[in-house]
Amino acid sequence: MLNIIKSDLYRVFRGKAIYIAIIFILFLAAVSCFSMSPGHIGITSSSEEQQLVEDEEILNKVYETDSILETRELMKEYGAYPLDKEQLGANANLYYFFIIVVVIVLVTDLSNSIAKNTLSSAISRKKYYMSKLITCIGLGTFLVLINNYGSYIINLIMNGQEFSAGLLEITKLTILQLPILYGIISMLVCIGFCFRKTGTFNSITIPLIMVIQLVIMGVATLFHFDANNILNYEFQYIIGNLVSNPSNTYILKTLVLAVFYIITFNVIGYRVFRKTEIK
Amino acid sequence: MQEIVLQTNNLTKKYKDFVALDSASITIHKGDIYGLIGRNGAGKTTLMKLVTTLTTKSGGSFSLFGKEEELTESKRRIGCLIESPAFFDNLTAYQNLKYYSIQKGIVDEKQIDKVLKTVDLYKERNKKFKKFSLGMKQRLGIAFAILDNPDFIILDEPINGLDPIGIKEIRDTLKRLNEEEKITILISSHILSELYLIANHFCFIDKGRIIKDISKEELDLECSKCIVIRTKDVKKATVVLEKELSTTNYKVIDNTEIRLYDYLENSAKVNKTLLSNDIEIMGIYESGISLEDYFDSLIKEGAK
Repeated sequence: MLNIIKSDLYRVFRGKAIYIAIIFILFLAAVSCFSMSPGHIGITSSSEEQQLVEDEEILNKVYETDSILETRELMKEYGAYPLDKEQLGANANLYYFFIIVVVIVLVTDLSNSIAKNTLSSAISRKKYYMSKLITCIGLGTFLVLINNYGSYIINLIMNGQEFSAGLLEITKLTILQLPILYGIISMLVCIGFCFRKTGTFNSITIPLIMVIQLVIMGVATLFHFDANNILNYEFQYIIGNLVSNPSNTYILKTLVLAVFYIITFNVIGYRVFRKTEIK
Repeated sequence: MQEIVLQTNNLTKKYKDFVALDSASITIHKGDIYGLIGRNGAGKTTLMKLVTTLTTKSGGSFSLFGKEEELTESKRRIGCLIESPAFFDNLTAYQNLKYYSIQKGIVDEKQIDKVLKTVDLYKERNKKFKKFSLGMKQRLGIAFAILDNPDFIILDEPINGLDPIGIKEIRDTLKRLNEEEKITILISSHILSELYLIANHFCFIDKGRIIKDISKEELDLECSKCIVIRTKDVKKATVVLEKELSTTNYKVIDNTEIRLYDYLENSAKVNKTLLSNDIEIMGIYESGISLEDYFDSLIKEGAK
C-alpha cells in the first residue's frame, strides 16, 4: 500500500496541477490579506465584512467601493482584528482544490483505464482503494496546511502582528477543521469510485455544495421550518462556525458528523468499487 | 511433468442475459506461447480480464501457478497488457515505468532501462506518452508487462493497429522473451496468420465458447495438403499404404478417415492400389485449407 502511495506522490509532484493549485491558494490568500477581507474571492464572499465590521459607516463605504486598495484602507481604519483566523472561516473554498486532488490522484486513473495496470498486478482492490483514499487525504491535508499557514505568514508580512490570531490559534483551528474536511474528501473519493469518468465527476462535484444549500433552503421554505438548524451542519457553515468560538457540544457534533461522513462514504465507495468491472 | 501456469475450469462470465464466456477450460504450460484466436467480441478479453481479476467470474474456477487461492501472491509472477495500453499522458516513457517500478517495489532503476532497451524504446525514454505512435504505445505496454521479470505475460491484441514492421518487431520481441527469458505468454488476436508465426498452441474461441484447442503440430496437420481417404476398413487400408505404396506419412483421423500426406500429385495411383487390394472406398479427394479458411470452417461448425 505504501508503494502505491509513494508512486502516486511521485506522479503528482511531476505534474503541473498540484503546483498550479498551490499557486492559486497562495494567490487567493495574498489577495485576501492585501484587501484585508477574508474570503473576498471565492464562494464564501457574501458577508464576511458584515460579520467583522460592526461600524455601519465603514461597512457602507466597503460596499460602495470597487477598489481593493480602498477596501484595505477602510479595513485598516476600522482597527485590529485576527484576519488570518477569519480567513480560515472561508476554507470552504478548499473544496474546489480537493476536487483537483481527487481528479489527479484517482479519477484520471479510473477514467483513462490506467487503473487496470495496477489492479491486474498483485494489488487487491481493498489496497488500491485505501491507498487512493490515504493519498487524497494526505494531499488534502497538505493543501490545508499550505492555505492556513500560508495565509498566516502572508498576513504577518503584509499586515503585521496586530491582525493575526497567533500561530497557536491557527494550529488549533486547523485541527478543529480537519475532520470535516476529511469527511468531504471521503465524499469526493466515493463519487470518484462510483462514477469513474472525469466529466461526470466534475459535473457532479462542482455544483454539489451549492445544490445542497439550495435544496435545504428550498425544503425549509416548502415545509416552513427554520433552515438554520440544518444549515449549521452543512459543510460551508461548519467551516465558518468552527472559527467563531463554537461550544464544545457543537465541536463534538461536527466531529461525529465528520466520522459519519468518513465511514459512510468510504463503505459505499468501496462496495461499489469492489464489484466494478475495470475497463 | 511440465508446470501448469494457468488452468481454467468451466470459467464463465455473464452480463445479465448475455454470456460473454461460456464454460471455458484451457491449460497453459510453462514455456508455451498460447494464442487465443477469435473474432471481435468472441470473449478473448473477457477470459483475460477474468484471470487478471479485472472482472468477477459468474461461474467456474481458475488457478495460477497451481494455486486457486492466494491469487495476489500468484499475480506477482504475471505481467499484463489488457486491451489498449493506457499510461499517463503527461509523463515520459521512463517516468511512467518509474511510477510502476515504485508501485511494484523494484529498487534497481536499471531495470527500467533494461526493459526499454528490450522493446527498443530506450532512445524515446524521455518522450511523453501522449506523443507516442500506436506502435510505441504497444511496445511501452509490453515493457510494462515485463518490468517485474514475470514468469507469465498476458497480452491482449498487442499487434492491433500496427504496421507490418511494427508487427514484426513485436513478434521478434515476444519470441526473444520466450526463448531467452523463458517467459510463458498468453496472447490474443483475431489475425490467425500473425499468431501462427509466434504461438505454439492455439485456442479458437467464438461467441464465448472454446471451439478448438490444438497444438501447432496439430494445426499444421489439419491445414496441410493431403489426400483424404474415406473407407470402412481403415486398418486394412493402412497396411496397403505401408506395404504397396511404402509410406507411413499418413494419419488416421477416425474409423472411416485416413489423411495421406504423400502422393499428392498422384491420387489416382492411391485409389487404384487400394481398389486392387479389395478395399472399399467411400470417397477419395484432395484436401488442405488456408489458416483463414480453417478458422472460418471452425466458426461455421461451432455455429451448427
